[in-house]
Amino acid sequence: MQFRLEKRREPSKAMIYITPVVAVVLTMIVGAVIFSLIGYDGIGAVREIFLTPLTNSYKWQDLGIKAAPLIIIGVGLSIAYRANVWNIGAEGQYVIGGLAGTGIALLTYGMTGWWILPLMVLAGMLGGMAYAAIPALLRTRLNVNEILTSLMLTYASVQLIYYLIRAPWKDPMGMGFPQTRLFSEAARLPTIIPGTIVHLGVPIAVLVGIVAWFIMTRSVFGYRMRVVGAAPHAARYGGFSENKTIWLAMLVSGGLAGLAGVLEVAGPFQRMVPGFPTNYGFTAIIVAFLGRLNPLGVIVAGIVLAITFVGGEVAQTTIGLPNAATGIFQAMMLFFLLAGDILIKYRLRRVLPQPSVGAA
Amino acid sequence: MELALAILITVVGASTPILIAALGELVVEKAGVLNLGVEGMMLIGAIAGFVVQFHTGNPYLALLCGAAAGTAASLIFGFLTLSLSANQTATGLALTIFGTGFSALAGSSYSARPVTLMQPLFPAEFYGNPIGRVIFGYSFPVYFSFVMVVAIWYFLHKTRAGLILRAVGENDQSAHSIGYSVIGVRYLAVMFGGAMAGIAGACFPLLLTPQWAERMTAGRGWIAVALVVFASWKPFRLLGGAYLFGLVMTTELYAKAGGGPLSAVPSELWAALPYIATVVVLVLISLRRDASTNAPACLGKPFLPAN
Repeated sequence: MQFRLEKRREPSKAMIYITPVVAVVLTMIVGAVIFSLIGYDGIGAVREIFLTPLTNSYKWQDLGIKAAPLIIIGVGLSIAYRANVWNIGAEGQYVIGGLAGTGIALLTYGMTGWWILPLMVLAGMLGGMAYAAIPALLRTRLNVNEILTSLMLTYASVQLIYYLIRAPWKDPMGMGFPQTRLFSEAARLPTIIPGTIVHLGVPIAVLVGIVAWFIMTRSVFGYRMRVVGAAPHAARYGGFSENKTIWLAMLVSGGLAGLAGVLEVAGPFQRMVPGFPTNYGFTAIIVAFLGRLNPLGVIVAGIVLAITFVGGEVAQTTIGLPNAATGIFQAMMLFFLLAGDILIKYRLRRVLPQPSVGAA
Repeated sequence: MELALAILITVVGASTPILIAALGELVVEKAGVLNLGVEGMMLIGAIAGFVVQFHTGNPYLALLCGAAAGTAASLIFGFLTLSLSANQTATGLALTIFGTGFSALAGSSYSARPVTLMQPLFPAEFYGNPIGRVIFGYSFPVYFSFVMVVAIWYFLHKTRAGLILRAVGENDQSAHSIGYSVIGVRYLAVMFGGAMAGIAGACFPLLLTPQWAERMTAGRGWIAVALVVFASWKPFRLLGGAYLFGLVMTTELYAKAGGGPLSAVPSELWAALPYIATVVVLVLISLRRDASTNAPACLGKPFLPAN
């Protein structure tokens, strides 16, 4: 029995939504097999990574606070990738957003007032936008590839953290540890459910996803992004400037990454530490793709990836699975998803063995 | 004199892996494929090379296994992008994420375990004096990288196979209609790129720091990708570019260690310098008139036969 790929007349809508689910399921199955083969408890790994965070209600708050930054960054990236603008330096924009917020928190140290947090958030978004503006400027003015510049700036941003918390922003009472002082009360993100660690960033993330969905489906901005990405020639003909689209895509994705950064530093961290860059900016790339570059899909995908993070930590303590396994599961998900993409444009058709004419 | 010699040798060591990885990516891109998974393939090569060196102590076997591991990783990319026409940018990123996770998992039980560094290729009599040291004092990968610069230039511009590879990268439809297997050629190119990235990765534990550390390639794979653009897809320019970066990275090491005016600059700035330099170099290269005209015409586009 043989199969052959046959081009569909038009892309399959159903496959767009089925393939991410299939990708997750296949990751669980193949992951279980592979991890068993290399000597771990494969089935246990899949159970702990994918199911325990869901069944154990004590883990739900962890899911929320891990999903929030992934969703916020992922929504921004999904908008940029729609327009074929490849910002992969979200991690750097997240870092600069966190640093900008930290700057405000340290400037206002000891002060009180409702305005401090909004100011931090604003600074964080502007910081992320400014950092994303560098690749945008280089791409639009000089046609420099934004993939490489945004990524190189990520590596540089991490060094900026190390410098700031080692020298000018170092906690004077920190006993030599490279970190800033703990933010004062007014610069910390409030928790929204008493007795948990669920902070204001969680509802903000859901709100960002919903607002972005409305904008992408109901506004000229969304239309511009989708047309420029899907049909650049038509977009040019229709009067959408490519450069303006690149700018918008970079600023939106950078601003949202910056927002995620400032929410993280004001929420879970409450001070700047060397461990602040936690790869959310890179994982959000998977989130954006798994969510099919659709803001509502990104919300779901953000939760799925958060499950693997939380589950990865569970598996580390319960069955001794190294933390790196989480990254492998996440990458496998993206591999299966990209492989499944072909089913959107093609269908599998069974080929019946035909008697060859020439052979006789 | 002694210091100049030490600096030169450090520069060579820092440049070699970048050069090897970039040479592989150059061939891949000449065939019209953009594989952004170099960093991931390097990490997989690094852990494979480390593990083999740790258990056998045979650095040549370690390099070979690094190459094999890099090739295996590149086949994941090849299958997705060439057989299933998946998006090359996204698949390359996925490969880097995978390589980071895979190498960290495979290396999790090897942290803080030393291996022996690879010894120089020539016998000690050759490099007793400084001049001999400069010429004969390096281990095999250094000479391999130089030979590959010439070999790849020769292959691309003087052989029939190289011509076919370039044709596939410049105009896949024509190459297909003349009867060449576009996908087959691209598979071979991608595998070659994987092998080179694997060797480059294995150079890290064998030449630079004789142990395993997570993410030990520290973005060098990405710098290699940038260098290919910098070099306008020309092997000899790649040689110059790789050594320029080796120099930048070595400056960091000496500025941190030594006193003098250089140590007044924060060490973090030195650490960020290779990445900032990459951006600056990309900007400078874009100012040149022939900047993008030299790029293979089909770079990054999936091949779908017209009929």
